[in-house]
Amino acid sequence: ADLKMSHVRPQDATIDKELRAFAAQVDTATGGDVKIEIFPASALGDYTTVQERISVGAIDMATQPAGTAADRRMQISSFPFLASNWEEARKIYGPDGPVRNVMADLYAEQDITMLAAYPVYFGGISLNTDPVNPGEPAANGIKVRVPGIKSFQLTGEALGYIPSPIPFSEAFTAIQTGVVDGVIGSGAEGYYASFRDVTKAYIPANTHFEVWYMIISNGSLAELDAEDQEALKAAAAAFEAQRWTVAESDQAAWEQKLTDDLGTTVVALTPEQLSAMAAKVRSDVWPVVLEDVGADWGQAILDKVGQ
Amino acid sequence: MDRFSKYLLTALIGVVALGQFVQVVTRYVLQIPVMGLEETMLYPTLWLYMLGAVNASRENTHIRANVLEIWLKTPRQHTILAIVGEIISLAVGLWLLSWAWDFTRYSWRVWKESPTLYIPTFYSDVALVIGLGLMMLYTLVHLWSHVRILAKGAEQ
Amino acid sequence: MIEIALLSIAVLVLTLTLGVPLPYCFGAALMVMYFIGDVTMKGMMIWGFQQMGNPVLLAIPLFVLAGTIMSESGIAASLLRFVNAFIGHVRGGLGVVAAVSCAVIGAISGSGLTGIAAIGPLLIPEMEKRGYPREYATALIANSSILGLLIPPSVTMIVYGWVTDTSILACFLATLGPGLLIMVNFSVVNLWMSRKFNLHLDEKPTFSELTSEVTKRGIHAFPALLMPVMILGGIYGGIMTPTEAAALSVIYAIPVGFLIYKGLRWDNFLMAGKEAATAVGAIMVMILFSMILGQMFVYESIPQQLVSAIFGITENKVLLLIFINILLFLVGMVVNDVTAIILIAPLLLPLMTAIGVSPVQFAAIMGVNTAMGGVTPPYASILYLGARIGNVKVTKVIPPAMMLIVTGYVPVVFLTSLWPDLSLFLPRLFGY
Ligand code: NA
Ligand code: NA
Repeated sequence: ADLKMSHVRPQDATIDKELRAFAAQVDTATGGDVKIEIFPASALGDYTTVQERISVGAIDMATQPAGTAADRRMQISSFPFLASNWEEARKIYGPDGPVRNVMADLYAEQDITMLAAYPVYFGGISLNTDPVNPGEPAANGIKVRVPGIKSFQLTGEALGYIPSPIPFSEAFTAIQTGVVDGVIGSGAEGYYASFRDVTKAYIPANTHFEVWYMIISNGSLAELDAEDQEALKAAAAAFEAQRWTVAESDQAAWEQKLTDDLGTTVVALTPEQLSAMAAKVRSDVWPVVLEDVGADWGQAILDKVGQ
Repeated sequence: MDRFSKYLLTALIGVVALGQFVQVVTRYVLQIPVMGLEETMLYPTLWLYMLGAVNASRENTHIRANVLEIWLKTPRQHTILAIVGEIISLAVGLWLLSWAWDFTRYSWRVWKESPTLYIPTFYSDVALVIGLGLMMLYTLVHLWSHVRILAKGAEQ
Repeated sequence: MIEIALLSIAVLVLTLTLGVPLPYCFGAALMVMYFIGDVTMKGMMIWGFQQMGNPVLLAIPLFVLAGTIMSESGIAASLLRFVNAFIGHVRGGLGVVAAVSCAVIGAISGSGLTGIAAIGPLLIPEMEKRGYPREYATALIANSSILGLLIPPSVTMIVYGWVTDTSILACFLATLGPGLLIMVNFSVVNLWMSRKFNLHLDEKPTFSELTSEVTKRGIHAFPALLMPVMILGGIYGGIMTPTEAAALSVIYAIPVGFLIYKGLRWDNFLMAGKEAATAVGAIMVMILFSMILGQMFVYESIPQQLVSAIFGITENKVLLLIFINILLFLVGMVVNDVTAIILIAPLLLPLMTAIGVSPVQFAAIMGVNTAMGGVTPPYASILYLGARIGNVKVTKVIPPAMMLIVTGYVPVVFLTSLWPDLSLFLPRLFGY
């Protein structure tokens, strides 16, 4: 079978290379039965649309963030300040983690099978201006672009910024001209990929844990015979296991690249500052987002996470 | 009908302009975040597009490249060409309409919501099937009037 | 698969020729891909409708509405009078006024129609009274009207930036150089042509008369002159996005048109709103189906196949550029600007990057060529509108229009392709 797989980063980005290796792996493992064609740079549409098209069986696969339009409970995946370090992240989002399990169930409701979770990075704040008390969650008057997702807007506000929901397509230009002075919602690698000329400073505040999912349409999966299905799932598991071993050092490498290649100032935050930010967001943002996803449902997952 | 479409379309485009304007004022002058304004604007915008297109069908002012028309001499030839054009439009349009209906059923089933205010996107999605449906209706009306002109010409 | 893609384009052109409205022409092409090429339509409406909702596109109806309001309200007329104060009395000056006024109006309107719609009714009779042949005056203003698409803001550059993921602000600047050059070309050609016309000129004003007239008209035109400053200053000064600037220009033009220039009344305001909405609706539904066709091409990797097919013929950069200009000229003869960009830009951009033409320079190449399409018969929407406004036969207006295209446009078209700095100088200056 020929499967089309979408992802959101440009050609030759880390994920692009990893997915091409994955495709080669699947090709070999299935004896040439399953060929995966990679479509980089959201060529098949942004991730929310791609997810919908996967759910109706029009596109086969994707490796991307969870789109929340069809089910607002999927916001649990990008819940701000849920994990504070890599060890916690692995417990929450890794194999058999509570968030990962619940996400697999939510995808299943949309006729989608989750094959793997792909840990990307901890999110931070990119500024094209000098940071103002970056370690303190108090009003600083800096306008930042946030994605049109409620938890990011509220997080931006809780950390003292003025969030402005500008569409991604206009974001770069908006920063360059100074309509806004920064971005929330991505991490070092993402800023390097999409905002490299407008990242003067980077604040690694660990705003959220960015995790993408490798998903496949149930219809496309069913068309493969049992052996090929097993081979595909095994390759996906190996792909994920491999990523967990390099994700943390990959994040550090991208922060270093920001400094080395672009001359970005990467702000050093103390553990106390990080936990103060986390505490502020947990008290300001969590109750609102929990209410949105269903307080009981959400709290049950948080209980499993240990929050 | 003309009066009604004038008021409706001007109101829609006015709302859209005003919404964008408020966005600048709140961000630049008042420096406060407005959440959800942007996603709210999507609803009048999509209705504006679809109803604008319906009006273009009603007034028969869709963009066309009447290349062949230049070489045709008699009014009868022009009428026949117009009929051919309307029949093609109708056949293609009905096929597109069936996919728009498919989309509408999908939208109804999934009941998506906007990201911050959770407004159901069905309210804008449904503009597609309604808009295309009305466009087909007006195409049918134009086809009918061309056929009558042709029939009248044949009688004489 | 590339054969079926070409067949679908052939069906598109065929239905176009038959006079079928554009959205259905794209629909017919989709049917070819679906029934013959077996490409799925499932989920395509989800994708297409989402594309249409992109806020970037919202700038289009707003810039079109701003253009309609300025032509109804007397805003454009006051700009015309102001420009006229400087050079109206010079021999051939009125023709220069036409070109320059269209450029100034272009700095507010995003469409190629505003210039001819706004100043045609005023300037064509005036030019005829002064001894210009009516069809020449009509052709000159219609040709200059296209500057509305080359002087930012511009609907075609918004669409180009959107479909190719290129900075819209950079695209705006890319066509500015070629646009100004075309304005200068028209002015020079007009001064040269004017020697043959039997023109009646006003007595040359004294210097003090001139300054007092310029001041008087300048004060009157001040609220109108503020508009381009607000729009372009607002965008490039980091106050707002292009979409927001478009909204501001509408919000500003309404009270100015009603209260200051008084040309705007309730009835023509409603008419302007309806007309802008209708024009935009027609464009957007076409965009919806053309985007789906484009997506089907991407889905089947047609652009990559096209690039290798063309490279099979030649890899010579200059030859390819000339070939592409001829192709765009032919496309411009039969379709309008926005259609041409949606259809061609995503297909040819991979080829352009492969031969070392940057997306921003390609924006200028596409912009200049597709703008010219508005005045090249057989489908020459802007020229035909001009003929209607000027009340001259289309066949009469074509010869002077062709003369202006050959002298004014064609050299700039080739310069834009072969001399990258012409389009890239300004974007670089602004750091893009
Ligand atoms: Na313009
Ligand atoms: Na043309």
